[in-house]
Amino acid sequence: MKIAVVGTGYVGLVTGSCLSDVGMDVTCVDVDVKKIANLNKGVLPIYEPGLEDIVERNTKAGRLKFTSSLDQAVKGAEAAFIAVGTPPGEDGSADLRYVLAVAKEIGEKMTDYLVVITKSTVPVGTADKVRRELQAALQARGSKLTFDVASNPEFLKEGAAIEDFQKPDRIVCGVESERAQDVLARLYKPFTLNGHPVYFMDVKSAEMTKYAANAMLATKISFMNDIANLCELLGADVNQVRKGIGSDPRIGNRFIYPGIGYGGSCFPKDVKALVRTGHEYGYELRILQSVEAVNESQKHVLFNKVKAHFGDLKGRHFAMWGLSFKPETNDMREAPALVICEQLKAAGATVTAYDPVAMPECKHMIGDQIAYAPDAYAALTGADALLLVTEWREFRVPDWDRIRAALKQPVVFDGRNIYSGPELREMGFTYSGIGVK
Amino acid sequence: MKIAILGSGYVGLVVGTCFADTGNRTTCVDVDEAKINRLRRGEVPIYEPGLEELIQRNVAEGRLFFTTDLAATIRGAQVVFIAVGTPGDEDGSADLTHVLSVAETIGANMNDHKVVVLKSTVPVGTNHKVRDRIAAHTKQSFDVVSNPEFLKEGAAIDDFTKPDRVVVGCESAHARKVMEELYAPFLRTGKPLLVMDPASAEMTKYAANAMLATRISFMNEMARICEAVGADVNQVRKGIGTDVRIGFPFLFAGVGYGGSCFPKDVRALVSLAKEHGYTPHIVPAVEKVNEEQKRLLYQKVKQHFGDLAGRHFAVWGLAFKPKTDDMREAPSVALIEALLAAGATVTAFDPEANREAQRLLGDRVRFADNALAACDGADALVLVTEWSAFRHLDLDEIKARLKQRVLFDGRNIWDGERVRSQGFTYYGIGVR
Ligand SMILES: NC(=O)c1ccc[n+]([C@@H]2O[C@H](COP(=O)([O-])OP(=O)(O)OC[C@H]3O[C@@H](n4cnc5c(N)ncnc54)[C@H](O)[C@@H]3O)[C@@H](O)[C@H]2O)c1
Ligand SMILES: NC(=O)c1ccc[n+]([C@@H]2O[C@H](COP(=O)([O-])OP(=O)(O)OC[C@H]3O[C@@H](n4cnc5c(N)ncnc54)[C@H](O)[C@@H]3O)[C@@H](O)[C@H]2O)c1
Repeated sequence: MKIAVVGTGYVGLVTGSCLSDVGMDVTCVDVDVKKIANLNKGVLPIYEPGLEDIVERNTKAGRLKFTSSLDQAVKGAEAAFIAVGTPPGEDGSADLRYVLAVAKEIGEKMTDYLVVITKSTVPVGTADKVRRELQAALQARGSKLTFDVASNPEFLKEGAAIEDFQKPDRIVCGVESERAQDVLARLYKPFTLNGHPVYFMDVKSAEMTKYAANAMLATKISFMNDIANLCELLGADVNQVRKGIGSDPRIGNRFIYPGIGYGGSCFPKDVKALVRTGHEYGYELRILQSVEAVNESQKHVLFNKVKAHFGDLKGRHFAMWGLSFKPETNDMREAPALVICEQLKAAGATVTAYDPVAMPECKHMIGDQIAYAPDAYAALTGADALLLVTEWREFRVPDWDRIRAALKQPVVFDGRNIYSGPELREMGFTYSGIGVK
Repeated sequence: MKIAILGSGYVGLVVGTCFADTGNRTTCVDVDEAKINRLRRGEVPIYEPGLEELIQRNVAEGRLFFTTDLAATIRGAQVVFIAVGTPGDEDGSADLTHVLSVAETIGANMNDHKVVVLKSTVPVGTNHKVRDRIAAHTKQSFDVVSNPEFLKEGAAIDDFTKPDRVVVGCESAHARKVMEELYAPFLRTGKPLLVMDPASAEMTKYAANAMLATRISFMNEMARICEAVGADVNQVRKGIGTDVRIGFPFLFAGVGYGGSCFPKDVRALVSLAKEHGYTPHIVPAVEKVNEEQKRLLYQKVKQHFGDLAGRHFAVWGLAFKPKTDDMREAPSVALIEALLAAGATVTAFDPEANREAQRLLGDRVRFADNALAACDGADALVLVTEWSAFRHLDLDEIKARLKQRVLFDGRNIWDGERVRSQGFTYYGIGVR
């Protein structure tokens, strides 16, 4: 099966390489010429465990190609994925400029019947817009070619993207014709053979599913953060509460960890976009608005604790462990670390940070606003406190003697509740987590 | 062990009966004399599958007793459960009058060491309040344990005897041992007994109900959006429920949650937070959505018919959920009140809750003996509670009885496509 994947970011690259890995003939396209040149040299633009191997293996086998020419990619293809970015516009709605530009270009270049599959996260109704772009482009060149549009939202998580793509909880496909359904069924057959279900549904419901899933996950996080803040005031321990409710199978113990707010390229943007869709239709999505409000204030919680402990922060120096919005990724988009760094700086404090992979990305975004250390312990030297911001595995069981020796004061702010307060206090540290004792 | 259960409502009866069934000598007390008299005659004041047989068996075998004598029962017990009601106050906070009043009585009758167990759903901090009340009356040592109850009406016995977990908030080794012993017969399959501090145990109950209510309101909002954009919330539900981080339970869009727990506990949590200077964001939104959702079915009816004066409607299902006769905060009441206020008339049917509903609504509503009879001459059939008997529609029969072929499905249990093909107009919640 010949497949084109347009947009070679996180989603496009993972989709393209995983499809080639099961034997399909995949061409990935991107307008970013440098990215394509790098990929052709075997240099990946993102950090994603396991991806490099797959790319290398399939490029060598000739099943995976990278190009900046869309012509070449769609020529003879049965399916074309649109996997370009959909950044939030100023009002929070998803910016469809790139998606529609690609649709138009596909219409201009396609050579056979084609299923055009939107993989990017797009608001309900986008498939109709994609269809119109394609029709207009075909008409403009007097072509009688036929096509179908389909919606196939992607649920992969950065940091576990390969695993998520290869062993999905489910695959959601919104289709409008049997022919398109057949193409998608063949495409995903290698992944469904081991029991992972494909749900075929109407296009709008598929588009909606992606937003609803991210919205529910964000809701779980904000719910727990709200409860954690309350636990703190009531003298309860949110870790106990979490175990108490997580053992209820109707709730489950996933995604109910309190912390310093969600970030990344998806939750914040998708929650905003769905709220925006609601507005467009005159419906106020109250829960999601409150989910967002909690998240915004949660990003300030760690700073507030530091401030409450030290009072005036002018001239203070802090060590920060972790920068990326979550472990196993270098993605810094909407990372709580950015807000914390900003606030500390505004209060006159300085920061030395360490992150296993996200430091270049962070430097790229905020430059020398903070200093960077070559390893976790080097970040601690002379700091008034350690702030744990991202729960990378290597931070989980640190050498507390070394930490105490390096810090000016034995104070730890744990934004992810990965340490035990009682244990740390026993060792003479001042500890504060999120809603825990 | 000798157990006293103070309060013989839903929770007290189930808990008491199940403890008797594992061999404990259990006495259930209530201030309501009529209730105790009925229980002594073998009548069970609530509808709960399996409860009646279990009560009869344990009474016959001499392990389960009913009385109104609080003092004597407390004096004769090693473990005293408080399971009285904690209704919502006007400001939404939990009313602790009954809890604190029995605490005083316990204190006055503390003839030897006792473990006092708080089963009622109570705000964080109540454990200590109860301890203080008891201590004011006695020099005897005692323990106070917070042991919130997670049973669901309609499946109460199963839930209690096969719990997902037992939460025990306690600070003494003795109390912990007693609780472990009491619950051991129910935890043989390896489900955990989670021991924590009392504040966290108290919080766990509210957090659990708040999270479940959040899932419901969340899906109701999704249903509203689906309706607006032309998507189908049932498909969306499948699409997100398969995500193991989300899961399927409690993702059904409908007419809002009701009952004696969710609305009250959600409000109590908000009011507890405010008392401590915290403004929660999510739960108030959850409640607001629910209040609106309870009016949605009425709005759909109104939208379809316009003026409702002189219209007649059949309502199926009155209890706040299936398998119970509990009508507290039931969405059916909101719907019926609104229909009546608009000048319409209603004939209702519920397999178990007709009587309870009659007590609440009086003869402003007619009650039918069976589901089909409720449809006679109605302009539309409105489904409010998804009893399984309502799932399969005899469309021919309904066609013959209704004046107009219009169905409002508040629980999305019917297949819109199928009923439309039979000439019905169909409205669900967020489905096509
Ligand atoms: N990153 C995730 O974890 C994730 C998960 C699920 C869904 N999504 C969704 O998938 C979509 C893509 O996300 P991403 O993280 O991969 O974005 P990204 O920014 O990493 O990649 C987008 C790529 O598209 C390219 N592009 C832009 N316009 C183009 C054009 N006209 N032709 C060819 N290429 C073009 C860009 O150069 C870039 O390389 C978004 O809608 C996102 O919401 C992302
Ligand atoms: N019903 C449920 O599904 C459920 C589930 C979990 C927790 N809970 C909680 O359990 C508690 C009890 O709920 P319920 O549904 O059983 O309430 P209920 O109203 O059915 O029963 C309460 C009983 O306590 C009695 N009572 C009141 N004051 C008393 C006193 N001073 N001495 C003795 N008896 C007295 C009342 O007469 C009544 O029979 C509440 O806090 C509730 O929130 C209920």
